[in-house]
Amino acid sequence: MLRHAWFIAVFAAAPLAAQKTGPQGDTWESIAKLPDFSGLWEVTFGGGPRGGGEPPAFTPEYAAKLQAFQAASQRGEIEDGPAANCVPNGMPAIMTQPYPIEILFTPGKVTILIEAYAQWRQIFMDGRMHPEDPDLTFNGHSTGHWEGDTLVVDTVGFTTDTSLGNQGQRHSEKMHIVERFRLAEPDRLEVVTTITDPEALTKPYTRTAAYGRHRDWTLAEYVCQQNNRNFTTEDGKSGIDLSFEEKQ
Amino acid sequence: MRQTNRARALRHVGMVLGSVIGILALAAWTSRAEAHHSFSAFDMQTNKDLEGEVIEFQWTNPHTFLWINVTNADGSKTRWGLEGMSPNFLGRRGWTKNTFEPGDKVKVVVWPLKSGEPGGTLQRATFPDGTEVVNFGGSGGGGGGAARSGGGAPQ
Repeated sequence: MLRHAWFIAVFAAAPLAAQKTGPQGDTWESIAKLPDFSGLWEVTFGGGPRGGGEPPAFTPEYAAKLQAFQAASQRGEIEDGPAANCVPNGMPAIMTQPYPIEILFTPGKVTILIEAYAQWRQIFMDGRMHPEDPDLTFNGHSTGHWEGDTLVVDTVGFTTDTSLGNQGQRHSEKMHIVERFRLAEPDRLEVVTTITDPEALTKPYTRTAAYGRHRDWTLAEYVCQQNNRNFTTEDGKSGIDLSFEEKQ
Repeated sequence: MRQTNRARALRHVGMVLGSVIGILALAAWTSRAEAHHSFSAFDMQTNKDLEGEVIEFQWTNPHTFLWINVTNADGSKTRWGLEGMSPNFLGRRGWTKNTFEPGDKVKVVVWPLKSGEPGGTLQRATFPDGTEVVNFGGSGGGGGGAARSGGGAPQ
């Protein structure tokens, strides 16, 4: 019962906190007045998830999970992660892969195309709420609004298959992510990501990523299964498949 | 024909990047949390030099693979499989699917597999004309990246 009450509190908090200011992108006319996010954006060196800031503060339960992971890694039992088998990272790590993203505005919706693992996110800007009992997915359910020049995105509903960014840093189904997107410079997009999780974290975990704009780039196909020779076995070993067939 | 293709690729390549920058760039990429895979399978303390003939260059995701035949000291041949960055990454830094063609003679520097199998991570490759390609480019913001260096004008 207490858990349920917590869920309601978190999901209700998002719309309460929304301070909509300026154009909201609900019509094409409104979109024309929004900041220009067009072009492709690639995370810049040093702008990734380790670009400074405090590490996540875990509750005892989740600190123990991290320690267990680190101990298993030390023993050589975990050499690689699920991504080596082409499983997408999910949020938040999918936003800071070494591949570009593209951000599209249409009335009432922002769509983020993510080249890595051919992922997308849709952010509903039409005032709808999160579902009361959302499906648990890799990228979650996102709603958003504009606070002047800043796009604020609120996301809930995560599968616990993903990590906070580094392997072993786990989170619960109650993870809640707020991202603030803003042009810090004309061709530099800054995204401040704040993660809260009442089961896994004792305080909000915030990090900032910076992206450089590449107007002349286009997205490229990324089918991870095309020629994936990296693998992780069930007992945690990593390797490379060197099988080769001569072309006739 | 082979040289023509390479020359064509070269003309699109902008600035020259040394391997030092390449390694710094790699450190930045690999420190990024949970990219496609860890480097636990590779011995990154060892820079292994190999000389061989290209069998095939696979311009595929999630990684390119350069397959070369290396002649051993006893005259026997070993096929090596060398993993590189993705076509998406390299394509934005001057590489093309024709950067290597079957029959090309190359000298390569790799981080070998710890397992001892004939595979590794490609760091850079040098062609007989002295041109070099570096697998780990910059951020792409500089209008170039994994460029060939040392060769001067395209042939």
